[in-house]
Parts: sequence; C-alpha cells; structure tokens
Amino acid sequence: MLRFFPYLVKSLWRHRVRTGLTVSGSAVALFVFCFVGAVQEGLARLTQNRQAERSLIVFQTNRFCPSTSKLPEDYGRTIAEIPGVGDVTPIKVFMNNCRASLDLVVFHGMPPDKLRRFREMNVIDGGLQSFEQRPDAALVGQALANRRHLKVGQRFAIGEVTVHIAGIFTASSPAEENFLYTHLDFLQRTRGLNSVGTVTQFEVKLAEGADANAVSRAIDAAFHGGPVATDTRPKGVFEANAVGDLAELIGFAHYLGYACVGLVLAIVSTTALMAVQDRVREHAVLQTLGFTGLRIFGLVLSESMIVGVGGGVLGVGAALTTLGLSRLAVGTEGVTIAFTPSWTLALHGMGAALVIGVVAGMAPAWQAARADIVESLRAI
Amino acid sequence: MPLVEIRNVTKEYRKGEQTITPLRDVNLDVERGDFLSLMGASGSGKSTLLNLLAGIDRPTRGEVRVNGVDITRLSRTKLAHWRAANVGYIFQLYNLIPVLTAYENVEMPLLLLPLARAERHKRVGIALEAVGLSDRADHYPRQLSGGQEQRVGIARAIVADPLLVVADEPTGDLDAETSDQIQHLLQRLNTELGTTFLMVTHDPKAAAIARRRIRLEKGELLEPEPPLQALVSRGA
Repeated sequence: MLRFFPYLVKSLWRHRVRTGLTVSGSAVALFVFCFVGAVQEGLARLTQNRQAERSLIVFQTNRFCPSTSKLPEDYGRTIAEIPGVGDVTPIKVFMNNCRASLDLVVFHGMPPDKLRRFREMNVIDGGLQSFEQRPDAALVGQALANRRHLKVGQRFAIGEVTVHIAGIFTASSPAEENFLYTHLDFLQRTRGLNSVGTVTQFEVKLAEGADANAVSRAIDAAFHGGPVATDTRPKGVFEANAVGDLAELIGFAHYLGYACVGLVLAIVSTTALMAVQDRVREHAVLQTLGFTGLRIFGLVLSESMIVGVGGGVLGVGAALTTLGLSRLAVGTEGVTIAFTPSWTLALHGMGAALVIGVVAGMAPAWQAARADIVESLRAI
Repeated sequence: MPLVEIRNVTKEYRKGEQTITPLRDVNLDVERGDFLSLMGASGSGKSTLLNLLAGIDRPTRGEVRVNGVDITRLSRTKLAHWRAANVGYIFQLYNLIPVLTAYENVEMPLLLLPLARAERHKRVGIALEAVGLSDRADHYPRQLSGGQEQRVGIARAIVADPLLVVADEPTGDLDAETSDQIQHLLQRLNTELGTTFLMVTHDPKAAAIARRRIRLEKGELLEPEPPLQALVSRGA
C-alpha cells in the first residue's frame, strides 16, 4: 500500500479545503476528548492513589469546608498513642475559595519536620533549608507557581496571609503540585485567622499491617464525647467525598467524550463518502487497470485513516500541549484535581483517532470496492 | 491457437420489465498480433463486446478465452489480477487520474506488478518515448492537450506489455488532425510491439487502419466488413 501513498496524499490534497476542514473538525473534537480524559484521569489519580490508602485524615464531624473544621492541636498526642498509628501531623488549611474553582489556592500549614516525613517532594528551585529558617516562608507546588507566575523570593498574598516564597517543588502526585506549604504556627498566628491551638485536620500514617478502618474507628472513639468529635477516613475516601459533587459532574462529562468521538466519526465518514462519490469513475478506471476490490477498499480506508489520524495528531497534540502549559486544576473544599498530560491520554486519543478513521472509512470503502465497473465508467 | 476465442457469447440485462440483448450468440477469433476494428451503430453491442474481452464485464452465456484462459470463470479478484497482467485499456475520454503527472499515470498499472522501482522507471520511460511524450512526463493532465492526454492513455495501456490492448473509440473526442496522429500511433505500436489491438470506432477512416474489420449489427457479428468505400457512402 506504501506504493500508493503519493496517490493517497495527492487525492486528499485535490480537495484540500474539504480535507482541511475535516481534519480541523476532528482535531477540535479530539482536543475536547483528551481534555475530558485528563479530567477523568485526574479524578482517578486522586481517588485511587495507593499512598492515600495508607493514610488517614482526621477532621471535625459535620464539616463542609476546611474552615469549619477546628480541632484542638493537642488531639495529636492522643492520636499518636492509638495502636496502629505510625505517625501523625497536624495540618492547618487556608484557602481562597471553598467552592469549586479553577484557580484554587490552598495553604497547608505543617511543622517543617513533619513536612519532610509526610510529603514526597522535590524542590526544583530555592531550598528546603531556607523554608525551615524563615517563619513566613512557603514552598509552592510547580503547577500553582506556573498558574500564578510565582518565583522564588517573591511575596505572595491571599487575603490576610502573606508568605515569602522559599522554594518551588514537584511531587509524584500532580494534585499535590497545586498546594502551598507553610509553617503551621505561622498560619495559626496570622491576623484574622486567630487559630492558635487549633488545626483543621490531622494526617495519620498507618503503622505496618494496621487496618485503616479499625484505626479510624479507634480515633473517633477516643474523642467521642470530647470537646470536638472527629470523623476519620482513609485519605482517598476523604478526598473523594470532598470532591463528590465535582466527581458526579466529571462522571457525566465522559458522555461528552463519547459525543466527541461520535462527532468525529460523522465528520470523517461524510468526507470519505463524498470523496468516494466524487471519484466513482476514477475508481472504475483503477479497477479496469487491474486494481482489485480489496485494493480499492484499502485505498479509501487509508484516506479515511490519514484524515482521522491527522485530526488526532493535531487535536491530541494541542490538548497535551495546553494541559502541559496551563497546569489547570479544579478544586473544592481544599482538595484539587489536576489536569495533566500523560502517555495514556496520548495513546487513548490517538487510538480513538485511528479507530474513528477505520470505522468512518468502512462503508464508503465497501461502496467503492463493490461498484460495478461498466456502470461506474458511465458515471459523469 | 488464436489469442482470443469468443464462443456463443450472449449478453443480456434487464431494464425494468424489458430484457435487452446487446450480444447474441457471438463467435469470434482474434489472432496474436492482429489489429481488429469493430464498427457498428450505437447500441449494436460493440462496447459490450470490448468490455467482455477486457474482463470488466461478464457474459450471460458463453465463453471468452484469452491465451487459453476462460476469463468468464475467474473470480472477481483473479479477474482483476488477470487484467493487470494481460490487458491495456484505452478510453475515449482518456480517464487519466487528474492528481497524477503523466509519468505517475503511466506508472499506475506497474504498481500492481512485482517490479522494482528502477524497472518501473525504465518501462515508463520507454512507454512515454513510444508515444512521443518523454518531455511531458512531469505535466499534469490539465496541462496537456486532448491529443497528448490520449497519448498518455495509450502509454498507460501498453506499459505493462499486455497481451491485448482494447480501445474504446480512442479518437472519438479528438479533432481530425489529432485523430490521424493517434491512429498512426496505434498502427505503429501494433507493428513495432506486436501487441494485439481491438478497437471500437464509429469512424470508417479510423477503422481502415486495422488489418481486419468486423461489424456488429443488433448484437450479431458480420464479417468480413464491407469495403471501406461502401461504408463511407452509407455514411456509417
């Protein structure tokens, strides 16, 4: 079939406006398909994170937003003594918006020594040491830094909280790169927050072999009847609950992805059919020269695949570039879902484009391959 | 043994309630290297006979043997392979692929054969030279005159060195002067290459270049063809 590649390309070029419009239409639809895929991947990463299964989040019962959870800081000592608890850290959460937002800025105040133990981060600019030495210092996730154009040495303020950026980090979890870490006591003492002695939540690392549900029940039992009752859940469950409403929307969005595939299928199929109807006589001439029906089928199918894959390369490429550059994330209640490019996304997008090219070309290719030569030669 | 043996060939097709029979019990032998012209009024069945010989149509009854192969019994795919190796077809309206250059149009039948690029290049060069268009190899059909397009069509028909070349009114769309040139070209190729030609034409002058002339009337073959002068005086 490679021998006929120049003919295929020239045939597509003959109707370049039509081909161009079809490729563009496919590209737009596959761009949306990949974007929807990125949102779903982000949600899946958040809720299926293995590390999150071995961590618990302890927060105040009946909370609906981090700002409504105020646990006494000394709960930490009690939690640390519960069997099955490996390590525990207090966390103070402060953010610019509790509702769903595409530009959520979440401050996590943690003791520096705990930050080292609880977070796997790679400081790519600035340093951990300068963070530890300065009380108002902050480490900013790379996605947030890119989105807000933040640089080491700058000051950054949200409401009453102003921090000095001491470092920018990357993390194994893309969602983590949307957070900003600062000192716990700095955040507690910030004017307006007035939360010395209280924290938003505790994060617990389970000891080897400990049962997450049993430890959760033990923690909640320890504070049952105390000044503030707790609700403890595995971190993954906690995050899934926090983004519950968003998750429903994201779940619905995958139908949008299917709709895009259907749209591309219709566009490419129409173009392939028009190309065949325009060239009834040409295909008959080729058959007269000795082209088999199968070869004509292959030529039409190849044209359709070139159009589909062309749209895929443009659409998927544009989507991955946009995702990579924009570092978009949607968040609610202090939990973020990061949209990041990935090889899986690229493979799914290109796979969809290829399948679309094949399926869209089937009926037109069959029509061209089975056409009667003599009748077709008479076609105007 | 004749190159082409047509035995008791009948072609029928239905048009609504009516059964049309463009060919009825036709028998014909064509010798290797012969140049045969086929004349007849419109609807006499001459193009149908040509298409049966070229293997792009099938008879309702009868046998068409070319070089000993009964092509009516070949499957659709085998028939396509057979056409690629054995038949060259010259169309009245040239039917060149508009997006391909003269060179690429002529090369097209060779792409179906197991030939290396260098061999294809050599054969296309020879074919274009044979029709006097070596200097137009890079031209697209829209950049050629009607006569030049038909020359490319002829080069495409002979490039694979087929056993049989069929031509369906090859000069039907050309002016008198260009017609003459094409007729002489076909005559020369028949003589020089020894390829068997079968040409359908309305033009008695074009028919006159053939070594053998036959006529179809209402689906039946009349041979020998009456003298050329008689045809001209009848205004056929």
